[in-house]
Amino acid sequence: MHSQSLDAMAGNRPKNTAKKRSVSLSYRVAVFLRFVAAIMGGYAFTSVLISLLAVLLPLNKLDSVLLTTTLSVFFYCCVFIWVFAVKSLKTVWITILLTTSGQLLALSFIKGWL
Amino acid sequence: MKESFFRSMAWLHTWVGLLVCWLLFLIFFAGTISFFKDEVTIWAEPETHHVKQQVQRVQSQAEQINYVFAQLQHQAPNSLSWRINLPEPRNPILSYGYAEPKQPGQRRAPFNYTHLDPNTLEQLPAPRDTKGGNFFYRLHFDLHYIDVFTARIIVCLASLFMLVALVTGIVIHKRIFKDMFSFRANKGSRSWLDAHNVSSVLALPFHIMITYTGIITLIFMLFPYPAETVYEDGLKQMFEEALPINKRAKPSEEQRPLIAINDVLDQIYTKSPNADISYVFVRNANTATSQIVVYLATGKDVVDNGPRYLFNGVTGELEASSGEDWSASAQFYDSMTALHSGRLAEPLLRWLYFFCGVAGCAMIATGCIMWAKRLRERLKADQKPSFGLKLVETLNLATLMGLPFATAAFFIANRLLPLELAERADKEILVFFLAWLAMLIIAVSGREKHHWRYSAWLNAIACFLVPVVNALTTDGNWITYLLTKQWALFGIDSAFICAGLLFLLQSKKIPSHKTVINKAKSNKNRLLKEQQG
Repeated sequence: MHSQSLDAMAGNRPKNTAKKRSVSLSYRVAVFLRFVAAIMGGYAFTSVLISLLAVLLPLNKLDSVLLTTTLSVFFYCCVFIWVFAVKSLKTVWITILLTTSGQLLALSFIKGWL
Repeated sequence: MKESFFRSMAWLHTWVGLLVCWLLFLIFFAGTISFFKDEVTIWAEPETHHVKQQVQRVQSQAEQINYVFAQLQHQAPNSLSWRINLPEPRNPILSYGYAEPKQPGQRRAPFNYTHLDPNTLEQLPAPRDTKGGNFFYRLHFDLHYIDVFTARIIVCLASLFMLVALVTGIVIHKRIFKDMFSFRANKGSRSWLDAHNVSSVLALPFHIMITYTGIITLIFMLFPYPAETVYEDGLKQMFEEALPINKRAKPSEEQRPLIAINDVLDQIYTKSPNADISYVFVRNANTATSQIVVYLATGKDVVDNGPRYLFNGVTGELEASSGEDWSASAQFYDSMTALHSGRLAEPLLRWLYFFCGVAGCAMIATGCIMWAKRLRERLKADQKPSFGLKLVETLNLATLMGLPFATAAFFIANRLLPLELAERADKEILVFFLAWLAMLIIAVSGREKHHWRYSAWLNAIACFLVPVVNALTTDGNWITYLLTKQWALFGIDSAFICAGLLFLLQSKKIPSHKTVINKAKSNKNRLLKEQQG
């Protein structure tokens, strides 16, 4: 396991460019976009999800807000890790955008914002 | 991200951890000290060290409150805000204060405090101007010298990274139980990995708990949306519903005498005969809209807010209360804050909190050292270290050795700075950051073994100086604290002596230049053999 994780640590440098000791630009952009998806996308997804849950939960106002807000970090953390676990960056972005806007639409219908 | 789930997680663990490890070290380090926030504040105010803990603390509260009310009626009958802090098990001082009229240009009205010996109700000399333990408490989520809101967002994000690093750390870790008992010394980065594993795994539940609940303490700043969606007026309305006692009455011009405080206390003692009162607040004293707020101690419950009562200051009628009967969700939320702050912890549990925090610091420190070690070991003889590696090594030395050094400097400055210095509390904090800067300069000048050894020596000297300077500048010292059973003071001096011994040990353990080269060679051979075998 340890040699495996050693390799993975070195993996920040793709093997073919390791000799040049520089990381390709496309790789950098891909990593940057992953972090944007994890931080911003995860934040948007979590915010909408917990707001929707707070409206839907059959509890009184205060309780549903406290419960969903307390669970928010759990959701955020899961999304963050999921973003890095999926192979294709496209899948990540499409899933986040679709689910977030879907939930936002549902929330808008319930609250009558539309 | 990578070819396999396992590799993605290993990659994520490394980079998420490395990106914020120095900030996390600061948060963990200052947070760990904050478990003893009250004790540090007591240490920092030697003017009140002679005050004895009361024998009958709870029983004399009514008398103390009556006395202080008489004083306040005399000193500041028209102040917008009075405050009484009653003695607590961890803090024997009785203190009260009132807000002075706000001058134009001031953001907050200055508060005028008086400190009393609770046994005799005699006035104590004003303690020196210091932030004490509060500095470390604030530092661990407000940072310093930057805007509070920005600081908290940064801290939240760093904590989220920490949580992600913890979860991915568990995923890539296949032998949690076995690693708890394995430590292979003197094997280069392998030893650092073992130390990283041991410090993480031993206190793993604590690390996850403290990180999660830490974010929860700031959660309404990070995620106000459920409250904004459910309530029309958003957060403000939610807080009013959750804590009705915080609803301030508008100041009024109409003069009305304040009700006798005994009428209010009688109502509280009827509700709970053994009530342990922590604070009493009065708003808009002696006007038509005066309010009296009483906070009770939490006792042994896992909640951060004890029962609180709001009384009408003119009629003495109970207007609102909170913290008496919690719903499941409210209890869930509040217990998280309680778990994080650890105010519920009795001495033994508090030490457990402290050592788990130390394990957290060790986990972060070994993690960032290991990253640098591995890259170093893989460098070929003719290869120069990259900028990134040098940056990480500099920050490692500056942070890991700089923060303890700065802390010791802060404690020494507390004793040595002249008492009449203007803005003395800020100067103490300045000393803290200057000491840290000094260590950064050492780190920039070089990151070889002998730099680590020098800084370990510096740290050891600074740590040993704290009890020495304390003994020379105050009436007490390490021995007398033990004899008079002043555990808070004895504990802090002892902690510095222990830290000093550890730094001495560290400086002895860091090998001199020649042995390093020999070791590195044998390590490389061993690694090669292991990889082949």
